Amino acid sequence: MESNKKYWKGLEELKQTPEFVENSKNEFAEALPIEDVLNEAGLNTVTPRRDFLKALGFGVGAVTLAACQPAPVHKAIPYLIKPEEIVPGIPNYYASTFNGHSILVKTREGRPIKVEGNPNCLLSGGRLDAQAQASVLDLYDSSRLQAPVLNGAEASWAQVDSFVKGELSKIKAGGKKIRIVSSTVNSPSTKAVIADFTAQYPTAKLVQVDAVSYTGIIQANQNSFGKAVLPHYRFDNADVIVSFGADFLGTWISPVEFTRQYTKNRAAEALERKKMSRHIQFESGMSLTGTNADARISLKPSEEGIALLNLYNALGANVPSKKLGNNAKADKAIQLAAKELLNAKGKALVVCGSNDVSTQILVNAINSLLGSYGSTIDLTNPSNQFAGNDAEFVEFINEMKRGEVDAVFFLNSNPAYSAVNTKEFTDALAKVKLRVSFADRQDETAALCQVNAPANHYLESWGDSNPVSGYYTLVQPTINPVYNTRMAEESLLTWSDAAVKEYYQYVRSNWEKTVLAQSGKTWKDVLQTGSVYMGAAPAAAVSFNRDLNAVAATIISESDALAKASVELQVYQNVAIGDGRTANNPWLQELPDPVSKVTWDNYVAIAPKYAEKLGLNEFDLVEVKSANYSVTLPVLVQPGQAAGTISIAVGYGRSKAGKAGNEVGKNAYPFLTFVNGTFQTTAAVSISKVGGTYELAQTQTHHSIEGRNIIRETTLKEYLKDPHAGSGHGAGHKTYDLWNAYEKPGQNWVMAIDLNACTGCGACIVACNAENNVPVVGRDEVRRRREMHWIRIDRYYSFNEAGKSVTEEKEIAHLEDMDNVSVVHQPMLCQHCEHAPCETVCPVLATVHSSDGLNHMAYNRCVGTRYCANNCPYKVRRFNWFNYWNDSRFDNYLNNEFTQLVLNPDVTTRSRGVMEKCSMCIQRIQAGKLQAKIEKRPLKDGDIKTACQQTCPANAIIFGDGNDPNSEVSKALKSERTYYVLEELNVQPGVGYQVKVRNTAEV
Amino acid sequence: MRSISLFSRSVVRTLILFLSLNLIGLSVTFAQSAAEGAALFKQKCTSCHALNQKVVGPALKGVHERREEAWLLKWIKNSQAMIAAGDPEAVKIYNEYNQSAMTAFPELSDDNIKSILAYIKEEGDKPAAAAAGAGAAGGEAKTEEVSNLMISGIILLIIISFLVILVLNRVITTLDKLFKKKQGIEEEEEAKVAKPSFNEQVKAFTKNKKKVFFVVLILLGVLSVVAWMGMWNTGVHQGYQPVQPIKFSHQLHAGTNQISCQYCHGGAFKSKNASIPSLNVCMNCHNYVQAREKYNGEISPEIAKIYQALDYNPDTKVYGENPKPVEWIRIHNLPDLAYFNHAQHVQVAGIQCQKCHGPIQNMEEVYQYAPLTMKWCINCHKETEVNHKGNAYYDKLIAAHEQLKKGGKVTAAVLGGLECGKCHY
Repeated sequence: MESNKKYWKGLEELKQTPEFVENSKNEFAEALPIEDVLNEAGLNTVTPRRDFLKALGFGVGAVTLAACQPAPVHKAIPYLIKPEEIVPGIPNYYASTFNGHSILVKTREGRPIKVEGNPNCLLSGGRLDAQAQASVLDLYDSSRLQAPVLNGAEASWAQVDSFVKGELSKIKAGGKKIRIVSSTVNSPSTKAVIADFTAQYPTAKLVQVDAVSYTGIIQANQNSFGKAVLPHYRFDNADVIVSFGADFLGTWISPVEFTRQYTKNRAAEALERKKMSRHIQFESGMSLTGTNADARISLKPSEEGIALLNLYNALGANVPSKKLGNNAKADKAIQLAAKELLNAKGKALVVCGSNDVSTQILVNAINSLLGSYGSTIDLTNPSNQFAGNDAEFVEFINEMKRGEVDAVFFLNSNPAYSAVNTKEFTDALAKVKLRVSFADRQDETAALCQVNAPANHYLESWGDSNPVSGYYTLVQPTINPVYNTRMAEESLLTWSDAAVKEYYQYVRSNWEKTVLAQSGKTWKDVLQTGSVYMGAAPAAAVSFNRDLNAVAATIISESDALAKASVELQVYQNVAIGDGRTANNPWLQELPDPVSKVTWDNYVAIAPKYAEKLGLNEFDLVEVKSANYSVTLPVLVQPGQAAGTISIAVGYGRSKAGKAGNEVGKNAYPFLTFVNGTFQTTAAVSISKVGGTYELAQTQTHHSIEGRNIIRETTLKEYLKDPHAGSGHGAGHKTYDLWNAYEKPGQNWVMAIDLNACTGCGACIVACNAENNVPVVGRDEVRRRREMHWIRIDRYYSFNEAGKSVTEEKEIAHLEDMDNVSVVHQPMLCQHCEHAPCETVCPVLATVHSSDGLNHMAYNRCVGTRYCANNCPYKVRRFNWFNYWNDSRFDNYLNNEFTQLVLNPDVTTRSRGVMEKCSMCIQRIQAGKLQAKIEKRPLKDGDIKTACQQTCPANAIIFGDGNDPNSEVSKALKSERTYYVLEELNVQPGVGYQVKVRNTAEV
Repeated sequence: MRSISLFSRSVVRTLILFLSLNLIGLSVTFAQSAAEGAALFKQKCTSCHALNQKVVGPALKGVHERREEAWLLKWIKNSQAMIAAGDPEAVKIYNEYNQSAMTAFPELSDDNIKSILAYIKEEGDKPAAAAAGAGAAGGEAKTEEVSNLMISGIILLIIISFLVILVLNRVITTLDKLFKKKQGIEEEEEAKVAKPSFNEQVKAFTKNKKKVFFVVLILLGVLSVVAWMGMWNTGVHQGYQPVQPIKFSHQLHAGTNQISCQYCHGGAFKSKNASIPSLNVCMNCHNYVQAREKYNGEISPEIAKIYQALDYNPDTKVYGENPKPVEWIRIHNLPDLAYFNHAQHVQVAGIQCQKCHGPIQNMEEVYQYAPLTMKWCINCHKETEVNHKGNAYYDKLIAAHEQLKKGGKVTAAVLGGLECGKCHY
């Protein structure tokens, strides 16, 4: 089906700005200096005879030297005593845990090189997000502390121990308070260690605070049901999902798990059953979740509570409310959402991203009314992923201010960076006698502490986790500590003179006493499987019977206060950097934001029409000012952003994160406000232009596709009528062969990508980085459009107006409502075309086709003409402008002996001057084939998985043998929704896409 | 008296004769049993015993003096029974050696054991010095490390200079002839005139443009051939034989002792790396194989290097705290851009190690046998038939190919073995 619908990647493309048109004509951002060479000056330069002779002499000398090179002396150093389980060249996998998700760590000769999901994992099912994929790089981060620090000087652990113990015994005698400040602790063993510590020092107490807090939900549940817990949400049980600013596919609570649950009801499997869940999103900034919604309605932060009140009333309740004054569209949508929710009673779910207790109580009331408890919300088996208490933290600062605290320990928390009022915190901290940080680097807080007792990276540690009720996972070390560090728990055990000081013994005996005793498993079982699930108690339905008048009054007054502001600010986490803990990870810094496609910076997101009104252009620097904080950041014009609002991401502006993360963007935490016992992510601000511009490194319009018809979508209604709707009835393009057809008697490697499943989260990009040694190029090079990612996720906008998509270009020009856009994410990678245009133009045959359907790229053959990139209609070829892994100008990546250890030894690091592109993880294909050959059996479907497929939380990517009619990929490609991008060019791509289906029933 | 003396003399003579005959006979039988004993000793005892020093069990020199023969017979056949029976001497020695039980040898007859004892006696009686001598003579023959390129360069230079001289000579004579022809009559007179000096000859030569051009052309041709050959061989290190930190002899281990390649290079069957064995593999044998007999009772200096690396004390049998890895020099340096997997070739294709590594079992010191060039790889892939029999992985592929090309060989190349991405990624 030829679609007339217009898709665009960025406003510059939509408006066809002169710069965009100019850029889109060139494959590379910067022209080669051919002109300079060929102009008069270049041609007229006389080479003096002496210079010529010098050059000649040097040339001859160099060639002679090169020819006479002596045989290389490379050392080969075997193990002295080889560990039995290691065979050099064969990876070992160990089960461990990252953030409560059970993982498998791939190690080669004793060094972890990749993190993969553990298929046994209850939460992820073997899928991982970008941060988990990137975590292995942090292990080798040269910005980590390499030894403990005592009073500003490097010290030994014995010195640190005697100092801390001496101080602690004095403090114990003095009887003043000891505080352990940590982000949420859900590890049973760590909790036990802290309990032991508290037993030894009775004035000690654990204060849990999360940089991005969920206290609002926890307190609301305490208020509504008497249970101060974070519920376990079950999006897989929901037919209708209405979210108010909760970015549950991107950052909210447990995004990998939620993505998995969410796509289960929306992608191929559900469509086979002729069903698809419905998702309505109300939010101010465009979030990843918003881009995936069937209907997305912009809403100011101040309108959020009011909208919820209206929804509650529309569902049949009667609480004091207020009209959504200027947002008729939202008003209409609320009524519609209410109708749909009621229809799906018992299978409906309303979630809200607010951290306000009153708002969350209201959400509880709505969910209770809809009968969600027991089906889509599980309160009986709660989640332990977040348990921070904002009020406790504020009280802790007050205690310090009053001089009541004598010792403080910072564990996985960095309040000097993430506190709302950093100055207040810093001043208060100065009054504490003993300040200890367990941070792995000298971060903002650790710099203020006398003692830095750097903890191990999780891949060097023992530990455990209990992310949701009944589910226990084990953290197992996979390498000896790279630096002279020690597990924080071991430090605490040492300082509390515990009987067992070795944390391994401690964890093991703790498990043997509790989890293993109850589950009947052995320690060895757990080391192997990585987790124990005790099963869930049947979720009980709970009833809500609180009077909501007071809650409604609070919501209305808060909303009024915020609405008075000239601009409403929404502070959010973005998918890559999150709360800023991983800011020094170059893989994550270079991962384009799923929505804005900005790398290496945060910015002020503002709606196009609103920006026009304020006289702001893209990249203009503006000052954002709240009552007690201000920052200067560049403007990013973001379609879909609610008018009158701006959004700024937290996690940036670190000053002591390390080489890669320092001074990237600006800190937005101080914009948070402490209202009614919780930190709120909204603030009243004003913005003003300060003059000057700052170019954000944005990838969105790189690799333009010239307005070709490459996205296909349909609606559920159309799809049910005709499953071929959207895909164009199997295309029917005539295929021509200029060459003799090539037999593929063995395998034919192909891929299927379901656009309806892909949420655009970007986990595949980081997984590919790790698997294929894809270099990081840095902000400046991204600006020059030289990013190296082998797989990218193209994000296309299109307009919706009055329930129909806008098709005619002249209509678009008259559109008023730039906020009402819908989004499609399309993963784009080498399509391994049968008739690959790149292959025919390569003058040196560096890229050729294989008999199993792959487009090979021989780096050592490539001479860098870049003809292939010019001829690739998908723009998926990448040119190495530098030796990124060995060039001091790219100092934030691999230029030190530690970080290079993360490289996958089975994949070449490409040199300057050659092309590279997706190989479909050929090293995995070859390894899988070899395994089958050694075992003398045919290849099985699923033996070989590409890195992107393996990590995709939405299961959007399926790879396999197209010659095997029973393989997953063959089945997927047989779907009526399958189409091939640019199939009209007769390049016969090997990657099939499945049409995006939207459940746009009535909006 | 005479008769008596005669008689006694004859008796003495016969006695002497008899005795000497007997002695000869005896020594012959003794020597025979000692030879049998030597073989048995090597076969059965050397894994735990040596003559002159403790290994796992005690040093055996003089054991026939220390113990009764009957006791020894009983002990060797079944020591555990003796210990169980509570023989005091047996229990004592059992405890002395950390209660490590000696293997029972019920298969040995009394005569066998006696011959072993005879061997021990005979060897023990030899002065220690005799055992030495053999050592030291071996090594130190430094391998000439003049590269092939240099030799061929020198040869070429000689050839070129020879050619130049030849050409010059020819030129001189032709010039002479020409001169004579032109001058005709003056020949005689001119002959008296001194021959033109070398400098003049050269000058004359340089004035003849054709000749200069010809020489330059030849020179250029020769040089470009040299350069071409040189460039083709750049980075090819066939025959590369670096000096290794330990003089490990494959000839001794793989050749003489017939130790299977897999014993030390097990990785070749499972992994891409054949892997150099870790020292714990060496210690499996060299825990007791110390080649003292060749080094005057001392441990072989090369084996001592293993102990040194492991910080192992062979006398106390204790491993120390400061092991130092052995830094071997890599001989086969395949560039990083090419991926090679041993398991594919050794395990799946069933290719002998020697196919690429040459007569490794005859190499005292290992050198690079194959050129390791891509041409070399490709040629083999073109010729080698796929080892598909009994491997279900290939069934489908082979069936399809058999259909495609009736009769032809199914080589690695046919199955895509020449595609770039198979080795370069």
